[in-house]
Amino acid sequence: MKRAALLAGAAAAYLAAAWMVAPGFYDGFAPPQPYNFVCPPSQAGANLAPKSGQAVIKVINGVSDASDAFTDDGQVVIGFLPGSFDGTGKTSVTVNITPVSPCPNPPGLHFSTNTYDITADAPLVKSATLVMRYSNLVVDPSFAYRADSPNGPWTKIVPSPQAQIWTVDLKVDKFGYYAAGYPSNSIAAGGAGANNQILPVTIAILILVVLVGGIPLTILRRRQARSGDADDDEDDE
Amino acid sequence: MPALILGGVALAITAWGWAPDKLGLGRSRIGLRLLGGLALAVVLLLPAAVRVSAIPILPPALAVAAIAVSVGEEIAFRGALFAALEEAGGAPLAVVGSTALWTAAHALSHPPAFLVAVAAAGLLLGLWRLWCRDLVAPIIGHVIADLAL
Repeated sequence: MKRAALLAGAAAAYLAAAWMVAPGFYDGFAPPQPYNFVCPPSQAGANLAPKSGQAVIKVINGVSDASDAFTDDGQVVIGFLPGSFDGTGKTSVTVNITPVSPCPNPPGLHFSTNTYDITADAPLVKSATLVMRYSNLVVDPSFAYRADSPNGPWTKIVPSPQAQIWTVDLKVDKFGYYAAGYPSNSIAAGGAGANNQILPVTIAILILVVLVGGIPLTILRRRQARSGDADDDEDDE
Repeated sequence: MPALILGGVALAITAWGWAPDKLGLGRSRIGLRLLGGLALAVVLLLPAAVRVSAIPILPPALAVAAIAVSVGEEIAFRGALFAALEEAGGAPLAVVGSTALWTAAHALSHPPAFLVAVAAAGLLLGLWRLWCRDLVAPIIGHVIADLAL
């Protein structure tokens, strides 16, 4: 009984320790690098402020180089093809990515990611590829949204198929404010959203199996132990 | 991927020369021990199940690697190392030593903030190994946890 109590204590200690860091124990196969939120949800543990990023892209004879701009924490990456900018009269183009604070809270929408203000000192003339990472602690975003101001109005953008898990990938042809999320009155659909309930359901099934399997096995073992004792008694007689 | 699988096999090789019973891999009470593994998996995954909205589905190759590495880790740390430390210094050394070395090994792949949870998981699995004389349940719990996260 004492051992069982100590095991239960160790389990409780584990639960407390794992609760301090989201998602808890993992072994490095799908490391959910913590997302840096501007406005962390209640279930997030320790949170660091998200980083901004800047890239200076060379322009030679009016043609900009192929390049990437990204935030220092890697939460937003935007890739540019050669000649993506109107570089007339320029020797370089500067791209800035800045997390927006306070968090925009547009009516009818819920943003899963931070909102980022992406600017450049030259207009885009070719589509760029924007990749926004999101947290495993939030509902998967169904769409990306763009606006010219943090106050909106927000235009819905259907993302490209996910190249990597926990990312929203999209083609953009102008700069502005970008976020990924979903309509407040809907459940996120598509992407990794389909497996939203796998883990809780799996845990529920495991608990059921342990209870349904454990009770008869324990009874059986006790009966065997009793019959063993009885056999010993008969042998003694 | 092959490197991960090879790593798992290499870890498992550390059990070479140990009798299965010494490693906690005997066949007695196997039904209860299998259920114990599921119960340990529930405990390991409970925090994630409560707070995580979605989990990644591992590609098959990565799932195989996850199984190889988690089985290898259990056999190496709570199998062979645990048995060696128990022979050398008794049960407390086996539990504390295997937990400390397991946590240290994870320091290479985990941010420092996660190591407390890793150590607590190691302690739980180590105590199970000690009191139930069983490694089957830690292996099952660890494999399921690795496949889920």
